[in-house]
Amino acid sequence: MSFDVVLRSILSAAFVGSVIRVATPILLPALGGLISELAGVTNVALEGLMLIAALVGVVISAFTGNAWLGCLIGVACSAVVAILLAYFHLNLKADIILSGLAINIASSGGTIFILYLLTKDKGSSSKLASLSLPRIAIPVLDGMPVLGPMLSRHNVLTYVAVLLVFLIWVFLYRTRLGIHIRAVGENAEAAGSVGINVRRTRYIALMLSGVMAGLGGINMSMGYLNMFQRDMTAGRGFIALAAVHLGNRRPLGVALASLFFGFADALSNQLGSLAIPPQWVQMIPYAATVLALVVYALQGRAAAVERARRLQERLQAHVEATGGE
Amino acid sequence: MSSLIEMRQISKLYPNGVLANDRVDFSVERGEIHALVGENGAGKTTLMKILYGMEAPTEGEIWLRGQRVHIRSPIDAIRRGIGMVHQNFMLIPSFTVAQNIVLGREPLDRGLVNYTEALRITEQLSKEYGLKVEADATIDSIPVGMRQRVEILKALHWGAEILILDEPTAVLTPQETRELFTAIRKLTERGKTVIFITHKLREVKEISDRVTVMRNGRVMGTLKTAEASETQIARMMVGREVFMVVDKPPVQRGGVVLQVRDLTHIAETGHVRLRNISFNVYAGEILGVAGVEGNGQTELVEVLAGLRPATFGTAMVDGQSLLNHTPRKVRELGVSHIPEDRLTYGVALDANVAENTVVDRYYRPPFTRNGFLSVGFIMEFGNGLIRQFSIMAPDASVPVRALSGGNMQKVVVAREFSSQPRLLIAAQPTRGIDVGATEFVHQQLIQKRSEGCAILLVSADLNEVMSLSDRIVVMYNGAIVGVFPDAQKVTEEELGAYMLGLKKQDPAEMEAYL
Amino acid sequence: MKERRKQGWFEFARAVGTILAALLLGFIITLFVSKEPIAAYRAFLLGPLTRTNRFGNWIEESITLTLVGLAICLVFRARQFSLAAEGQLYLGALVSGLVGLYFQMPALLHVSLAVIAAALVGFLWGLIPGLLKAYLDANEIVSTLMLNAIAIRIYNLILTYRLKPPEAGYTVSRYFHPTALLPRIVPETRITTAIFWAIAAVFVVYFLMYRTPFGYALRMTGANIRFAYYGGINTKRVIYLTMAISGIFAALAGAHLSMGIHQRVILNVSMGLGFEGIVVSLLARNNPLLIPVTALFYGYLRAGADIMERSSDVTRELVMVIQAVIILLVTAEGFLAFLQRQMRIRRGAELAEGKEAGDVI
Repeated sequence: MSFDVVLRSILSAAFVGSVIRVATPILLPALGGLISELAGVTNVALEGLMLIAALVGVVISAFTGNAWLGCLIGVACSAVVAILLAYFHLNLKADIILSGLAINIASSGGTIFILYLLTKDKGSSSKLASLSLPRIAIPVLDGMPVLGPMLSRHNVLTYVAVLLVFLIWVFLYRTRLGIHIRAVGENAEAAGSVGINVRRTRYIALMLSGVMAGLGGINMSMGYLNMFQRDMTAGRGFIALAAVHLGNRRPLGVALASLFFGFADALSNQLGSLAIPPQWVQMIPYAATVLALVVYALQGRAAAVERARRLQERLQAHVEATGGE
Repeated sequence: MSSLIEMRQISKLYPNGVLANDRVDFSVERGEIHALVGENGAGKTTLMKILYGMEAPTEGEIWLRGQRVHIRSPIDAIRRGIGMVHQNFMLIPSFTVAQNIVLGREPLDRGLVNYTEALRITEQLSKEYGLKVEADATIDSIPVGMRQRVEILKALHWGAEILILDEPTAVLTPQETRELFTAIRKLTERGKTVIFITHKLREVKEISDRVTVMRNGRVMGTLKTAEASETQIARMMVGREVFMVVDKPPVQRGGVVLQVRDLTHIAETGHVRLRNISFNVYAGEILGVAGVEGNGQTELVEVLAGLRPATFGTAMVDGQSLLNHTPRKVRELGVSHIPEDRLTYGVALDANVAENTVVDRYYRPPFTRNGFLSVGFIMEFGNGLIRQFSIMAPDASVPVRALSGGNMQKVVVAREFSSQPRLLIAAQPTRGIDVGATEFVHQQLIQKRSEGCAILLVSADLNEVMSLSDRIVVMYNGAIVGVFPDAQKVTEEELGAYMLGLKKQDPAEMEAYL
Repeated sequence: MKERRKQGWFEFARAVGTILAALLLGFIITLFVSKEPIAAYRAFLLGPLTRTNRFGNWIEESITLTLVGLAICLVFRARQFSLAAEGQLYLGALVSGLVGLYFQMPALLHVSLAVIAAALVGFLWGLIPGLLKAYLDANEIVSTLMLNAIAIRIYNLILTYRLKPPEAGYTVSRYFHPTALLPRIVPETRITTAIFWAIAAVFVVYFLMYRTPFGYALRMTGANIRFAYYGGINTKRVIYLTMAISGIFAALAGAHLSMGIHQRVILNVSMGLGFEGIVVSLLARNNPLLIPVTALFYGYLRAGADIMERSSDVTRELVMVIQAVIILLVTAEGFLAFLQRQMRIRRGAELAEGKEAGDVI
């Protein structure tokens, strides 16, 4: 088959642009998933939280005529539901996975329910005159031949997402709250022993993951597409969770993993137009994540063995130096 | 002038009825190193947890710098200048030393955490108190001794005037222990006060100014270390209160059942937990293993029971190798094991009594026939054990969770005794259970011995070891340091001296009796 | 004995209470959104009993849910958070379809072969995350979610490029050979002989769990894995075998959908049924004998929601909200404690009042 056609289309600037475009709604919730994961809480509700924000954003923008207000309220709703999830998990001791799945089910059903109420249509919000967040042409870049189509004229949330990778890195590694979130996730007892409020910290982490998932949802319905569609996130919340693990729970790693997922997605779209089954390519990121789990597990084991060996050497040196006991 | 800390008439009664502290008076002077010694379960840790705000006293008062205080939480204690270094360190493994030291009160620079400043603080503290640490290394990459220094520095950074060290040398090599002692002296030179929990008398003599001895939840006395001899302290620690009377027929020793040679175990952390251990256990005798907890007994039991790998050495039961097999294989060789931690290994709380009694044999006839579990038979078997071992349970279908601690232990004992073992390993078989149940377990052990079973009894309760055993070995620091071929002829003072590392027999001499 | 029965009743009352609370919430929502809320809710609550085909839908749904619920119940009882049922269901539907489309043989043999093939693929698809968990301690939530995504892609790939006839307008396969179809046993419905599998599966799982040594090992591993290991149980083997065996039942649910309901391979055959199995199993407290009961209950809700949608202005998605509320309330242990505390406080207040009253007298 015409591999050079594929190759040429991959190497095109437009393709790189589309990778960035499809990676954004994975990256945003993945950053949220990262924050809660580091706090020691696996948020499987990202998917549902995205849907909520996606619908609310569209509806509010349609009724107020203000896209930014839609974005704001959509994100706020997603954050509130994340807090509700936190309440069930942290106060009522519900299992985080099951309650997260419950939020997903309620969101999937609830958004369709509300969509139907408002539009008498269960498929999409095409009847609502909703608005989108603007695309931004970057002044100098825009005119450039290759870089322009690659990097300019993306939705504003794409740039926000890129910015957030760095902001979240700074947040997690350079601010008190971020450091406390990581401390709580790694050793809650130790964090508690120096006066860090473990529960409050986890509340904040879950709320922030709600905010990020919300931005991802808004990006879906007010950027990636210009309307809400039922179950439009199509598993991106789960992919985001995978990106957290594939990215080894670091902001930059998560960003690269999201780009990788985006690449596979964009590639499968290209292949689709070339009559090559896109599913092959779509499978790659998932398989890569499973592989990454294996690799990290083996690495961890190797590191433990190595640590034991080094300590034993030190001990041996000690015994020799001190002449037995 | 009043003392820096004064704890008056402190009592602590736990909901399960254990009186951990009984009208304890304890005082500490400014600038001293005060050793707090006692056997496991003597109440030292409880007393310190009360001082550190982790437990509330049932009764009693705490006076700090001449004022009555209520310490409500560790944070409260920290704010009052009391710091504690726990045995399990409160550190974040992936954070660096400096990050751990400033955790909770990170230095800020324009809203962001100033890591350079954290490094500077760490280096400065480290220099000031002579506690060497690598400020920029992550916790999981540094040795245990350094982790401990990080904990101490953390407490100092929080402004601790009083430092409680809970058995700080348990995890250290001799070299590291010397370094720690130097550092502790430096701390007191700078006006800090140190409370040092231990049960190693050599360390008490070496480091402390005064020593308070606890036993059975009470304070036996406070002495100036310089004026006290090690034997005097040892007697206060392990002196026998009530002599337990156990009716025991004379030993009828059969052939060797368990033969252990040069058994060595190095833990994953690289610490040597068992050093060239050799001994035999004969049919029809009880071999007692005495020792202060944490000297390798747990590891010895777990290696023999198939729960941990052995690094080198051999162990045979009836001539068949026991080491590095699955627990099932070990059990099939005729080994039973009463685990020291009932709730971790001994029972499944939500499973019923009958199910708990067959975990080692459910797959064999008559419990499984033609591939199917004989549910009725298992229930009958459970009910039979309930009667035979007088377990207080309506019937074998109740979940173990519904039973009291003593009856849970009876379930464990019933299971392990009813498998007709050749070798029975009993680790802390009566820990935390009432007098009646204790007596019952003791009788059962004697009964097994009469039937010709070889029994390895590991207990931190000296009374128990002395009254049940036929022979006794003492473990100290992972090795056997003494053997007493006739348990009747040994005194608790003598055992105590070995347990605390004051005395040691010559290996060549011991060989004949092991 | 008495105490335990009381506990059992309390559990039962709690389950019923949870369901009633969720249904009440559903009704309140209906009140707000519907012009004829009573009629809508009536259709929802009574609809499945009004016509044979509606009754059929209810039972068909319950068969699938029973099988998926059993799959979840197995892994949850061993305390493994495997969410692999969704992917296994897809693969079961696919493989039974391949056998149904590409082979020709006598009816009984054909159906058996298709079912066995489905069961086998479900077993293998469960073995992968099982081995990863047992030997590498790889997080089973993440690995099973990934494997689900992969399974669905495989399904779509084969359906789109191999099974879909070129002339077909929709992405569906041809109908299976009649020999590979499950015989329908109630006229006017799609209730097939799969109902016997579902009933048999309940007893098989019950038997496996309570009457075989493996089941004992499974339950002990779930109750306290360290106890199980200390007692000599090969806990790693229990973990991977449980996840694999669970796959068989999820795959059978898929085969039921392919060979019994749709009679061909269709796109999006599941849409989250694997997750709905979680509710079924949770409501049954992971007890296999109760799973058909909760599956019937839950299937009823879903069938009722369909009817409500068709006969009123309220959409079927209402039931998803009800479902979520049920999960949240069932899993919230603290909620139970909270209720008990409230009861105690109230009783305490009554006592205090009584005492005051007594003082006055």
